[in-house]
Amino acid sequence: MKEAQIICVGCPLGCRATLKVSREGEVLEVTGCRCKEGRRYVVEEFRNPVRVLTATVLTEGSRVPLLPVRTSSPIPKEKLREAMKALAKVRAKPPLRAGEVVLEDLLGTGVDLVATRDLPS
Amino acid sequence: MRLQGVDVAVIGAGPAGMAAAIRAKEAGAQRVLLVERQEELGGLLHQCIHNGFGLLYFGEDLTGPEYAKRFIDRVYDLGVETLLETTVLEISPERGIRVINKGGLQSFRPKAVVLAMGCRERTRDQLGIPGGRPAGIFTAGTAQRLVNVEGLLPGRRVVILGSGDVGMIMARRLTLEGARVEAVVEILPYVGGLIRNEVQCLHDFDIPLLLEHTVTEVHGERHLEGVTVAKVDPHRRPIPGTEIQIECDTLLLSVGLIPENELSRRAGVELDPLTGGPTVDQWRETTVPGVFAGGNVLHVHDLVDNCSWEAELAAEGAVRFAKGERTEGREICLRPGRNVRYVVPQRIRGEGPVTLFLRVREMEEGMRVRVGDLWQKRFRVVKPSEQIKVELSPKDLRRLPDGVAEIRVECEVAG
Ligand SMILES: Cc1cc2nc3c(=O)[nH]c(=O)nc-3n(C[C@H](O)[C@H](O)[C@H](O)COP(=O)(O)OP(=O)(O)OC[C@H]3O[C@@H](n4cnc5c(N)ncnc54)[C@H](O)[C@@H]3O)c2cc1C
Ligand code: SF4
Repeated sequence: MKEAQIICVGCPLGCRATLKVSREGEVLEVTGCRCKEGRRYVVEEFRNPVRVLTATVLTEGSRVPLLPVRTSSPIPKEKLREAMKALAKVRAKPPLRAGEVVLEDLLGTGVDLVATRDLPS
Repeated sequence: MRLQGVDVAVIGAGPAGMAAAIRAKEAGAQRVLLVERQEELGGLLHQCIHNGFGLLYFGEDLTGPEYAKRFIDRVYDLGVETLLETTVLEISPERGIRVINKGGLQSFRPKAVVLAMGCRERTRDQLGIPGGRPAGIFTAGTAQRLVNVEGLLPGRRVVILGSGDVGMIMARRLTLEGARVEAVVEILPYVGGLIRNEVQCLHDFDIPLLLEHTVTEVHGERHLEGVTVAKVDPHRRPIPGTEIQIECDTLLLSVGLIPENELSRRAGVELDPLTGGPTVDQWRETTVPGVFAGGNVLHVHDLVDNCSWEAELAAEGAVRFAKGERTEGREICLRPGRNVRYVVPQRIRGEGPVTLFLRVREMEEGMRVRVGDLWQKRFRVVKPSEQIKVELSPKDLRRLPDGVAEIRVECEVAG
């Protein structure tokens, strides 16, 4: 059996949860959360921590140097840095509208990278 | 553009100003003018490229630019008149507005004004950190603009003073862009921003957080070479002998925001020393008749959604004023009591509803917040970094006995 510590971000209390985990990775017990939703969150955060990545990509042929972008849904946390490397190779060309895909299927996650603003020429 | 005959003029086109202009139009004002010194609408939202905006207002998790776009589109659809790249130089106590742009100076007098100029960041001068004047010291907001809009990395090895949300968000952003954040230094025993940001901006990237520490000196002649950091005692004074040296080429200051109040002051509106912004009634009308205020120019909000909502209240008040409808009635003062740092609005005039914001001084657990005998609610925890919003209905206000001139807003230990 192992233990994992996770801080719940569900509300300003920020409960510090301790998870007892079996050798197979199954969560056996959660202590330290003061509510049910929080318990659900920390278990999910333990099993599959995901984050929305927001960043910028360089532009080509636009009067603005950068285009702000986001992932269309959260991606695994451990892929954030690798994703930044993939973004560094992207050049966004106008015209592009907010919500349009800039890079499909980022790192094989099935998640797209989309523009968060219109890109003027 | 003909500036005579404007019903409502809104100064500043951030989330507050745009929401105010839209609501003024919706509430029936004929001519609404939005004045902005930048070349586009949106204010600070363009540089806030991270998500977390609009959860309350739209029920969606948007980035700053996405939140801005919803309002920008609506501003143009409704036919709000916009005056971009135009700075307001002065508002007189009679609502005379003087603006300057490439076309020169112009003056006009709208029927009502909404102030929405946002806030500014506290700087090193206001902190008084000893040391020379090396390059490499930025406010977090300036760094945010450099990185997110201009594509410039301020440095490679960074120390951030202050653990507010802007500081923590910049710690993550700089790390993802390849800089090394040596530490986030916070003088208080707890982080200044949201727990979510502590976890997702600092812990996710193993960025050291030094609580109860401060920067006591900066080093370097022409360019920053490092900082001295020391532990502080409960009175926030550095403890001799605890100093450590951290090598860095960049120091970001994220040490608080203050309402932009240059114009407000010159217009002669009364300012509240507790918020740094004007004192207002429930419609966000200042002490100068016909001059309203909303968003960060009034008090610093944690959530942009509340900036927009508050500015809509100001716009509704402004439209009524422009139509010549005055709110009269008894005036009641709202006074901060135990562990309450400030309350906005500072007074209630006539009828409700009233949307009230307050902030506590100290973190406490197991508390009850009460607005006189009108409203109360239990909180598991109250924190200075989390604004509390209270809605009072017209019915609540009618319960007030005659002759009440003052209501205390307090945070007390829940029994
Ligand atoms: C650096 C920084 C980063 C922030 N990051 C976040 C964040 O990540 N999330 C969050 O929720 N909040 C953030 N905030 C708080 C943020 O300010 C508010 O959420 C929101 O942007 C405030 O809206 P506003 O409309 O009141 O002001 P602003 O967005 O600041 O808009 C004010 C506008 O008024 C214009 N203006 C000012 N003076 C004049 C004048 N004299 N004439 C003409 N125009 C004028 C300015 O150019 C600006 O466009 C941040 C604040 C700062 C300072
Ligand atoms: S567990 Fe519940 S009470 Fe504790 S931080 Fe999470 S949401 Fe808040």
